[in-house]
Amino acid sequence: MTESTLPVSRFQTLLLREWMQHHRGWLIMLGAPLVIAALLLIFGSVHFGDSEAGPRTSPNPSATALAMIAMVATQGVLLAIAWLMLVLQLTGLARRDQQDRSIEFWLSLPIGHAQSLSATLLMHLLVVPCFALAVGLLVGPVMAMLLVIKVHGVSALWSLPWPSLVLAAAVVALRLALGTALALLWLSPLLLGAMAASAWLKRWGLPAMIGGIAMLGLWAEKVYGSRVVWETLTELLFEAGYAMLSTVARGHNFRFDPRDEGSAALGELPAWAGTDALASLQALASPLLLGALIVAGGCFMLLILRRQRGA
Amino acid sequence: MTALITAQGLSLRYGRKTAVDDVSFSIAPGRVVGLLGHNGAGKTSLMKALVGLLPCDGQLQVLGLQPRRQRTTLLESLCYIPDVAILPRWARVDELITLMGGLHPRFSAERARTLLKRTSVGPMDKVKALSKGMVVQLHLSLIAAIDAQLMILDEPTLGLDVLSRKAFYEMLIDEWCDGQRSVLISTHQVEEIETLLSDVMIMNEGKLVLAISLEDVDKRFVALSHDAAQAEAMAAAHPLLRYRVQGGSAALFDGAPPAEVQALGQRMRPSLVDLFVALTRAPEMNRSQG
Repeated sequence: MTESTLPVSRFQTLLLREWMQHHRGWLIMLGAPLVIAALLLIFGSVHFGDSEAGPRTSPNPSATALAMIAMVATQGVLLAIAWLMLVLQLTGLARRDQQDRSIEFWLSLPIGHAQSLSATLLMHLLVVPCFALAVGLLVGPVMAMLLVIKVHGVSALWSLPWPSLVLAAAVVALRLALGTALALLWLSPLLLGAMAASAWLKRWGLPAMIGGIAMLGLWAEKVYGSRVVWETLTELLFEAGYAMLSTVARGHNFRFDPRDEGSAALGELPAWAGTDALASLQALASPLLLGALIVAGGCFMLLILRRQRGA
Repeated sequence: MTALITAQGLSLRYGRKTAVDDVSFSIAPGRVVGLLGHNGAGKTSLMKALVGLLPCDGQLQVLGLQPRRQRTTLLESLCYIPDVAILPRWARVDELITLMGGLHPRFSAERARTLLKRTSVGPMDKVKALSKGMVVQLHLSLIAAIDAQLMILDEPTLGLDVLSRKAFYEMLIDEWCDGQRSVLISTHQVEEIETLLSDVMIMNEGKLVLAISLEDVDKRFVALSHDAAQAEAMAAAHPLLRYRVQGGSAALFDGAPPAEVQALGQRMRPSLVDLFVALTRAPEMNRSQG
């Protein structure tokens, strides 16, 4: 028998609970596209350029560039799937334990309401997207090999700068992980608002929230001639996008020449990612974010209140 | 001996509806207490208040703690089965043991596995594949593996067949009740748990109409079996309940009836069911206790 359970290990167990309950769905959602992509690369064909525009004049991208594209694209696709799963599951999460009646069981255990909810949110909002990036980081080189073999042949594999490629992919993964965390901060009032609305109003929660925001926006516009609601929403969404890819989204291009054999961009990537991350972090110093976090905090309290009431 | 539960003037309301009305009682260590009451009598509300899941007025201490404010700490020393079939259906048995081990500081995974060997539930079974009776057995195995002082069970065998109910109570008494720990159990199957109980609490429309040990039940309440010819005389003595027993008639009195009435019948032990029916059907009794 354990002498005592530290809050940290209790929290880890709550995270483990999320994994036990949802891991099959996550693995299928992340694994299926990878298997399909691998099969397409093995048995399909790869073309570059517009085949209907006549004979090709430009050469194929270099092996290094192709490998880099494959590794980054793997991460990007898996992260996008993780975000899609998040959006699809979010409102259901709010009433998950009530719907399967297990809420009474969880409430009979010595776990705080805030702790339970925090573990669920952390797992679904942050850990799963980061897990998707980690899978992308691991599987990316395999996809890169398949693509390079398809376009340039097996011999091209030996000429690839694997250490630089893996380092670059790791830097991209870290940048996207940070971007995910920051984007979640910007989107927190919308995400937690949707959850709180579903927790209290069940299936009508999300429509009620969307309708409420729309009516508030129209009321502010008609009565006061103010577009503050629409501008706030737009700003939150744009800032979330900037959090993922700040400098490119703001019009500063990252120079990448796909025909460059040495792919100079590989060397520049870590420095660019650092600058980009710094720009996203600097954007956090905003009264809008402060307001967003206050609203999100209120929504979190609503979720706790709902959980306190049990089934 | 310090009481495990002390309630003074406890009330609980849902809006304008009073679910628990000015209830006072205490439960000492080593007792097995049955909480009886009709549907809607306030049993579940009282139990939820005891484990801090519902706010209430009045004074309430459970294991020396205030349940609402110290719910998490309280639940470390208290086991609670709130209802049947509430274990997460997606989980496997061994996963539940792992989770309980990480979430409850007084849970013993080894003991849970030992207790499970008494049942037909295997460690790799999924909860959703188990029958209702097996789920309840599993739940009790998990809860009984907690080294706690107090167990609160809210209708734990509701909807189970008689064999499952018997197996549940056998495991409860054999594996958990050790003379120091206390159990508070609410149920409708009064006859089945009567032999297990040391005390009984009866609720009616939110009020606690009786809280007494079974020893004191025998001292306080008098049941007299009598012939049909004495029925009128018995009725004139205002018994709590008149009922049929073994082909004859009987009357239940709160306190000893007059000697001339006692002489008309033969004293017998009142059953818990008859007492329950008497107290939850007698408005004058409810008023006097309230």
